[in-house]
Amino acid sequence: MAQQVNHALPVGFQLDEYRIERQLSLGGFSIVYLASNREGQSVAIKEYLPNSLALRAEGKIEPSIAEEHVPAFRYGMKCFFEEGRALARLSHPNVIRVLNFFRANNTVYMVMEYENGRSLQEFIQKNRPAITENFMRNVFTKLLNGLREVHSHKLLHLDLKPANIYMRNDYTPVLIDFGAARQTLTDDTPMLKPMYTPGFASPEHYHQRELLGPWSDIYSVGASMYACLAGAAPQAADGRREKDRLVPAMIRWERQYSDQLLEAIDWCLCLNHLYRPQSAYALQKVLTEPVGPNGTGPAAGGRKAWPGQMVEKSKTWLGQVASKFKRRAEPE
Amino acid sequence: MKFTIYQESRLGKRKNNEDRLAHCYSREALLLVIADGMGGHYYGEIAAQVAVQCMTESFQREADPKISDPFSFINRTMINAHNAILDFTHTHKLLDSPRTTCVACLIQDNIAHWAHVGDSRLYVIRKGRVHARTRDHSRTQLLIDQGMISPAQAPTHPDRNKIYSCLGGPQDPKIELSRKTPLEAGDVVALCTDGLWGLYSDEQLASTLKNENLMQAAPQLMEWADAHGGPSADNFSIVAVRWEDDYSESGSDNLSVIHTQTMQLGSVTTYLDQFGRNPKYKTELSDEEIERAISEIRATIQKYSK
Repeated sequence: MAQQVNHALPVGFQLDEYRIERQLSLGGFSIVYLASNREGQSVAIKEYLPNSLALRAEGKIEPSIAEEHVPAFRYGMKCFFEEGRALARLSHPNVIRVLNFFRANNTVYMVMEYENGRSLQEFIQKNRPAITENFMRNVFTKLLNGLREVHSHKLLHLDLKPANIYMRNDYTPVLIDFGAARQTLTDDTPMLKPMYTPGFASPEHYHQRELLGPWSDIYSVGASMYACLAGAAPQAADGRREKDRLVPAMIRWERQYSDQLLEAIDWCLCLNHLYRPQSAYALQKVLTEPVGPNGTGPAAGGRKAWPGQMVEKSKTWLGQVASKFKRRAEPE
Repeated sequence: MKFTIYQESRLGKRKNNEDRLAHCYSREALLLVIADGMGGHYYGEIAAQVAVQCMTESFQREADPKISDPFSFINRTMINAHNAILDFTHTHKLLDSPRTTCVACLIQDNIAHWAHVGDSRLYVIRKGRVHARTRDHSRTQLLIDQGMISPAQAPTHPDRNKIYSCLGGPQDPKIELSRKTPLEAGDVVALCTDGLWGLYSDEQLASTLKNENLMQAAPQLMEWADAHGGPSADNFSIVAVRWEDDYSESGSDNLSVIHTQTMQLGSVTTYLDQFGRNPKYKTELSDEEIERAISEIRATIQKYSK
């Protein structure tokens, strides 16, 4: 069966007290709209509409849900509520703010603040020269403020990636889309699989979900930083476990950015979760330390475990390159 | 609250399962109950069912999200259950009243409170040792206390099935309340019927349940009991909870850990007579629950927006 596609609500549709302006994005679980409220202010509205369970045909308003899918649809709604409950408690400039929550058209809606800007994903694709050392430190330090707030509420984001980091026009980042930010939804609900994005999801996302922790979001932060510099997602973690082809940031961008920044990226991208920064604060500390005379910052105590591993890895990587050259040089 | 829970009952070699068990939790309180309907009396399983249902229904009504006075709650509810069984006897004009044992444990604010009647047991296992356990209201336990028999003689004593306190029956139950017992992360609270504990020494139970993975350890106990219960094995059941540290972000986290933190206020999740293995079965939201969830989220938004 071909994957069904849900039709968005029509432009101009009056939804509760909001008027639909246009569709912002369409995901497997929801549609996000740009809408305006009575005062004419813009808001983003997320509509719960898992396309495997509910179908809105063209020209229809209420989605049709097959009888046998009703329990799963309602169960998924529970998770949508959990996202709402999680976000409602968070009030932080770097975390998307929920403004309202309501029920209509046989489903539920979450209203969020909307500000002019674009996703970091879009930004890095269109503004390659803007990705300077300062930009990176500035954006990610602020982003980590938001992430600290999330973690302090015992929540994990679990789907951090440039597409889920929104950039206001003044370059302040906002964490959006907490659709994966729940811990209860697991493999026993076949209709609603845990979500992750290859390249940004940590190794624990794939097979060892019992190990998920703040360090898993940290991996995704590292992967997002790497993607900013590379312009593309790094190799997926499950692939890296088979054969690690990820060139360490320290080697790939040597001298283009400070060693300290590049080290921090590689630190986050350690496959072993224990070698990564264990908290958003630990990473933030490194990003805000003054850069030393040789472009290196003072070594933080907590980082003792990883440089060894890093050096090992660089060596093996260099070793592989070297052996290739050697083989070429040596006559068979 | 953060915990792992395992609940299972098996038939043994009997025709009927007269054990009943349940657990339910709100955002801040957890109740575990087990009842062993007495064979040899009419409708043992009905008495057990009434007891367990009484406990869970009261919990659903009163956990908001905590129970205001845990011991009085358990005591009062057990007496209510006793009376409900007597009412049942009366309504159905039974010749004799059905009877059941009962153990119930209420955990909130990291403190366990429990009470028991009869010979179903509660164990608190800490670091591989029995930290606390209930003393059976049985003839053999009395004889042991009086020094008439040694603990080793109890399992084969002819009076081993005689108990002097139960719910239902002509006499008022003797409900024995525990002390307040603060729980530490890694503690296991296990409620079981005599069909299970009768096959193990305290040390064996404690060392098996020491395993960090309760979802492995508890079924192991059941498996072994099934294989070694003998030709006339009694029903045997367990509800066990492994208490986790509320504040640690993860640590020994695994898929079966239940976090109550994002639960809706005023909602209670109940697992009554789930003889299956996976307690995380789907629950359907009712319209009323949807409305409640929405109004709660709206209230939170109000509270946090300045």
